[in-house]
Amino acid sequence: MQEQTLDCLGEACPVPLVKTQKALEDLAVGDVLIVQIDHSCAMKNVPEWAREAGHNVEIEEVDDGEWEIVIEKAK
Amino acid sequence: MADSPTPAVDTGTPGRIRRSSVSQTRKKKASTIPIGIVVFALIVVVGILFAADQANLAFFWFTGTVFGYILQKARFCFTASLRDPYLTGGTSLTKAVLTAFAVTSLGFWAIQYAAASAGLPIPGQSFVAPINVHTAVGGVLFGIGMVISGGCASGTLMRVGEGFMMQMLSIAFFVVGSVIGAAHFGWWMENVIVHGRSIHMAEIFGWFGALVVQLGTIALLWIAADKFAKAKQGAAAH
Repeated sequence: MQEQTLDCLGEACPVPLVKTQKALEDLAVGDVLIVQIDHSCAMKNVPEWAREAGHNVEIEEVDDGEWEIVIEKAK
Repeated sequence: MADSPTPAVDTGTPGRIRRSSVSQTRKKKASTIPIGIVVFALIVVVGILFAADQANLAFFWFTGTVFGYILQKARFCFTASLRDPYLTGGTSLTKAVLTAFAVTSLGFWAIQYAAASAGLPIPGQSFVAPINVHTAVGGVLFGIGMVISGGCASGTLMRVGEGFMMQMLSIAFFVVGSVIGAAHFGWWMENVIVHGRSIHMAEIFGWFGALVVQLGTIALLWIAADKFAKAKQGAAAH
């Protein structure tokens, strides 16, 4: 299992989403991608997209207005 | 959500995604409720001060504050409502915006119909602007701008309030652009916009016809958005 961190701090929506989609393409099934975001809009569409794509998703608020979206590639 | 096969050595809590890096779980912080109470009291005090001067200002102050609060808490975003169907195939915000349009349409209709049936001048008629190619050109330009800057007017304002630095830059240039636009708006009005046609739907379809056409169009768009999301998800699942 590999783990990759994607720094999207300071990036406005939809940049985090596009970066997440690209990063996940290069990962193998079972790998984990941690996306760091601080844009509230990305809080909505990144998990929404990842769940619809069938991956396992968790959100952690690491600080005020700063989140880590943990995505496990499921397929 | 599908469960991933978890080996017996897994030390994480069940149902959680295993990760090797330390989970930076949020540290306990001092409660922000006292600050919230102070801010709420300040909002009320400012509102009362506005009301003493001009009742209208207090009304705008309170509706604006409530609108911003809902916008932030709901993660409502007009930009995302039009961008996400293409990017993610998700149309939940598109449907939310359409629902909001339907509710406001009903409200506008009720106000205008009440005025018209009482024989009073219909409020808001000056906002029925002529439509033509310029409407589409303006929409495309605004759309490009809002996707690049990460938000339309309300979304950008809301995120400035959240403290997102990049969009403070957006709002600065939003103001610059608006000032330039306002400065030569008269020219466009006289030479371009005036050649369009003002359409007030009630004049064409009648009061009830206009309501049916408006809500029917929104309903069709809602169904299309719903079907679009399901089709996209179906394609992603295979």
